[in-house]
Order: sequence, then structure tokens, then C-alpha cells
Amino acid sequence: MKKYLLKRIVTAFGIVLFVILLNYVIIRLAPGDPVRIMAGFDNPSQELMDALTKKYGLDQPLYVQFWRYITTLFKGDMGDSYLYNQPVSSLIFERVGASLLLSGVSAVLAVLIGSTLGLYAGRHHGKALDRTFSGVAYMLNAMPSFWLGIMLILIFASTLKWLPTQGMVNIRKGYTGWAYVVDVLQHMVLPCATLVAVQIPTYFRITKSSVMQVMAEEFVTTFRVTGMSERKIFNKYVLKNALLPIVTVFGINLAYVISGSTLIEIVFSWPGVGVLMYRSISMRDYNLLMGVYLLISISVAFMMIVVDLIYAWLDPRIRYD
Amino acid sequence: MKILEIQDLCVTYIAGEKRIKAVDHVSFAIDEGDSLGIVGESGSGKSTMAMAMLRLLDPRYTEITGAANYRGENLLTVDPRRLSELRWKDIAVVFQKSMNSLSPVHRIGEQFEDIYRVHEPKASKKEIRERVEKLFAMVNLAPRVYNLYPHELSGGMLQRTSIALSLLFHPKILIMDEATTALDVVTQGQILSEIKKLEKSIAVTRMMITHDLSVVATSCQKIIVLYAGQLMEFGYVRDVLANPRHPYTEGLVRSFPSLHGKKEELLSIPGSLPDLSNPPQGCIFAPRCPYATDQCRAHRPEPRHIDDLHVAACWRVKGGIQDA
Repeated sequence: MKKYLLKRIVTAFGIVLFVILLNYVIIRLAPGDPVRIMAGFDNPSQELMDALTKKYGLDQPLYVQFWRYITTLFKGDMGDSYLYNQPVSSLIFERVGASLLLSGVSAVLAVLIGSTLGLYAGRHHGKALDRTFSGVAYMLNAMPSFWLGIMLILIFASTLKWLPTQGMVNIRKGYTGWAYVVDVLQHMVLPCATLVAVQIPTYFRITKSSVMQVMAEEFVTTFRVTGMSERKIFNKYVLKNALLPIVTVFGINLAYVISGSTLIEIVFSWPGVGVLMYRSISMRDYNLLMGVYLLISISVAFMMIVVDLIYAWLDPRIRYD
Repeated sequence: MKILEIQDLCVTYIAGEKRIKAVDHVSFAIDEGDSLGIVGESGSGKSTMAMAMLRLLDPRYTEITGAANYRGENLLTVDPRRLSELRWKDIAVVFQKSMNSLSPVHRIGEQFEDIYRVHEPKASKKEIRERVEKLFAMVNLAPRVYNLYPHELSGGMLQRTSIALSLLFHPKILIMDEATTALDVVTQGQILSEIKKLEKSIAVTRMMITHDLSVVATSCQKIIVLYAGQLMEFGYVRDVLANPRHPYTEGLVRSFPSLHGKKEELLSIPGSLPDLSNPPQGCIFAPRCPYATDQCRAHRPEPRHIDDLHVAACWRVKGGIQDA
């Protein structure tokens, strides 16, 4: 097991390195020039552009730039953002908490609600409530997240004025302590609801089909014919068997917890990494973009290992030796 | 003494508009201590009959009429609580796919424990373990199996585990649904002889569902031959196999090689099972029967007695008493 874990960590490290190289090449191959953007479009002076190019080392050949990037990266320096003129690491660090809070809470709520409903629907397949849930899930699944977000803003923020329209805190009030927590929670309701609503159908359907599949297994018949109560069969035996696919999907979703909510962060002006990524793409902020991508690839690699470990813990048929 | 009496059992599967008669007016009775082989080709209703008796079929898709009297209680109508009591304590099953008959993600011992506690809620872990290990010894399994997961066992070991599980409460009736079919002949032979040995030490009435006549010939006293959900012939194995009175039984016997005696060409029965959602008028076997007459094609023969026990549903059986 330890050997397996070590092997996985080494491979993950290699993959992250490869992804860095790939990202670097792809970003540079894409059209657009950060210097032109920084210098402004109206009559930029050639001297300024030359100075900027030199300042950020963009005049060097690509492999030299890459080598410099990689060596400074290993020293723990992700370079400076062109756009913000700040170290990339501090920019990301400032915002990663907000993203984790929003996406993490949403992911957990979505898996809890979605799989609970799925468990019910799978167990009572064909009944009225199952049909209702399935219909709603289908509808939510077809709904674009940003559209749903805008609709929620329109209804609950603009019209009813129950909740704030955007941001994470009320900057004008400058709350502290409990008032701050409550303020953040209020700001979180709408983006969180949107994210949960669009993620529920995935969990719902996976859980429902998983439960139905397990319920049709021979061993359920065995337990039934021993006189065991349906409740015990379901709560102990069906549940654990049906859990595996949910873990997979949840793990994959968690892997994207840092960047997966970009669209929603933009709609609600949530000060998270997603917005940072969006801006760095449109402004060709190479270092910042590389930094965000690096964080994503590390979190994906990490979560995949975690999921595999949970799998081995849940399913005795999976053993890593 | 009669332990189980099946009366006029009918099982109809409902699939949308279609109604498929999987078991059609089957009646028979077995005595305590009997061993009964239920044979027939795939789709003849063998397993359906057992599943119906145990009320394991989904009532939304099946219609069951008739009676299955176990010691005077009709299993088909007895209230669910009583049924739960009877299950496993009185009637236990060994399933065909023992590979899947236990949960793959729970330890075998844990599952045995839970099943034991269904009927003995206050049993201690130690007590259960002792009981199970005794059963394991009876079916030639090592005690360490208790702590293993199903996937860590071979097919034969799993089958033994299933048999041990079925004997947990010394059931009065043991139904073995193709319990040895999936095994190689060596393991099958071992398990059959173990079962026979077991039967000497514990009183159990065994019903063996199989399509393998040799299994019935070597391990059962009585035999039922089913075809397309209908009872074709019923009697002592020695009578039915040595002197089959129904053309279908005759065909089945002739399609199996005999180890002793002269070499004969094996014959198969031409044709296949009729469409059970639209069965032919008259005898259900008539379309494949070499002796079929106009009478056979027009009227369905009722099971007729050849002697006290031996029954065959064929117009060719002359004399005797007519029986419903």
C-alpha cells in the first residue's frame, strides 16, 4: 500500500510537470501578445513596448523562457502577474479561499442532496415522487448555470431584494466577527444555490441507476429469502455497494473545485480564482495563467489519488500491492 | 407425511400487453425426507416455480394463483411477518450464481452474522462464529473463510459457502436452484456426495432444480419433469428414468449418455419451446412430439396416474385414474 502510494505520488508529480510544459506551449502558441495589451491599443510607443518585452524576458527564445520559469518555480516563485504587478502566488493565495468556500460547500451540498434523492428514487423506482424528481433533474440538467444564476439574481436580489446581488462581502459596511460570517453567508446563498442546482442531476442520476442496479443483484434476493427486513438490506448492503460510483463522480468534481465555478464566479462577481483565470486569459497574463493552471493540475492529481484510496477502503476487491 | 403440497400453481409474467404463462397448473406433493429433482430445459419454469413458492417474484409483474402448502400453511397467502419467520428457518435456498449471492463488499462472516441475527437477534458474535465454523467444517471449508470476502474464494468454495449458509438454521426444506451447475464435474461430484452425506446426519427435504438428469439420477428419489411450465411427468426416479411414460421425458433421457450399458446414439428433441405468451392449443409438447395425433393437437391431456405416485400428462397413458 505504501509502495503504491509512493508510486502514485511520483507519477502524479511527473504528470504535473508534463502538464506545465504542455500548458506553457499551448498558451504561447495562442495568438495575442501581453505587451500590446499592457501598452494599450491607442498608439502605443515602441519604446514602452520594447521596455516591457525586456522587463518580462519575452525577448528571449521560448525554451530559455521556459527554463527560467521552471527553475524559479522550483524555488517556489511563480513569477509576477503582468496585469496586477504582484507575485502570482499571493494573488492566487488571496482568492483561493473564496473559491474553495463557494465550490466546496456547493459540492458537498450537491452530493448530499443529489444522492439522497437518488437513493430514494432508485428504491422507489416508478413511483410518483421518483417521476417528479427525475423530471426536475432533467430540467435542471438542461439549464445553463449562468442563466440560472442570472434568473436567481433577478428574482431574489433585484426584485424581492432578499439577498445581495454580487460579491462576497458588503464592502461599505466592513463587518467583523459574527456579522462578517453572516454577511458572507448571505452573499453565498445565490451562487451556492445555482451551483448546487446544476450539480444535483449528475449525482441524482448516478445514484439512482446505481441503486437500481444493485437492487437487482443476486445477493439482495439472498438476503430477502433469509427473511431479512428490506430496511436492513437497503441501509447496510445496497447502500455500500451503490456508493462507489458516487465517490468517483464526487472525487472528479472536487478536483475541479478551485476552477470549476468560473462562470458562476463571474456572474456573481465572486472574488475567486475563477475570475482571476478569466481575466488572465483575456489579458494574456502568462504567468498568472500558468499559476492558475498549475494549481488546477495539482489539485486534480491530488484528488485522483484520494479517490483511489477511498475506493480501496470501500471496495475490498480493489487492493493496491 | 406431506411436507409440501403444490396445488394448481400458475405463475404468469406480465410484460406490458404480453402475459407469459411460466408455470401452468402444476400440482405435486412431497413427503418429509424426500429428495426431489425438478428437471426441464431452460425456460421450462423450474426456477420460477421455486421463486413463486418463496414469494420472491415482484407482484407488480407477476400473477400467482394456486397454493403452496407447507405443513398446512399456504406460503402464497401467509402474512408477511409469518413468511419472514418461515424463510431460512424452515425453507432455505442455494442459488445458482453463488458468485453473486453474497455482497461483494462485506466480509462473509459479517453477512452470516446478520443473517443469523434475523432469526436470533440476541445471538452473540462468538456463538454465531462457532455455529458457522461447524457448518464450514461440514462442507469442507476452512474456518478462515469467515474473515474473507467473496471474491477471495473459488467458485467451488463459494458454492460450499452458500450451502453452509442455507444450513444455518437446519431448514426443513432445502431448495437447490442449479446449485452445482456452474461447477466443474469434479467439484460437482464432491459437493453432491457431501450433500448426500449431510442428509444422513440432518433431516432435510431437498428440492433440486437442475437441467442435468445425471444429477437427479445420482442424488434424488423423486423427479418432476417440467416442460413449458407444465408438469409432464412425476414419480420415483427409478421409474421415470428407467421407464419414461411421457414422450418428452423419453426424449430427455435419450439425449443423455449412459455410462453403463450399450452405446446408443444420442438423440436431441427437435424444435424449441413454444411461445408462452401464445401457447398452442392442445398438448403443449405436441408440436415437438413424434407420437402426436390430432387428439393431442386439439385437447390438452390432464396428468394421469400410472400408479399411486407416477403421473404423466399424455394421452398415450392408458387406464389408471384420471387426476386433475
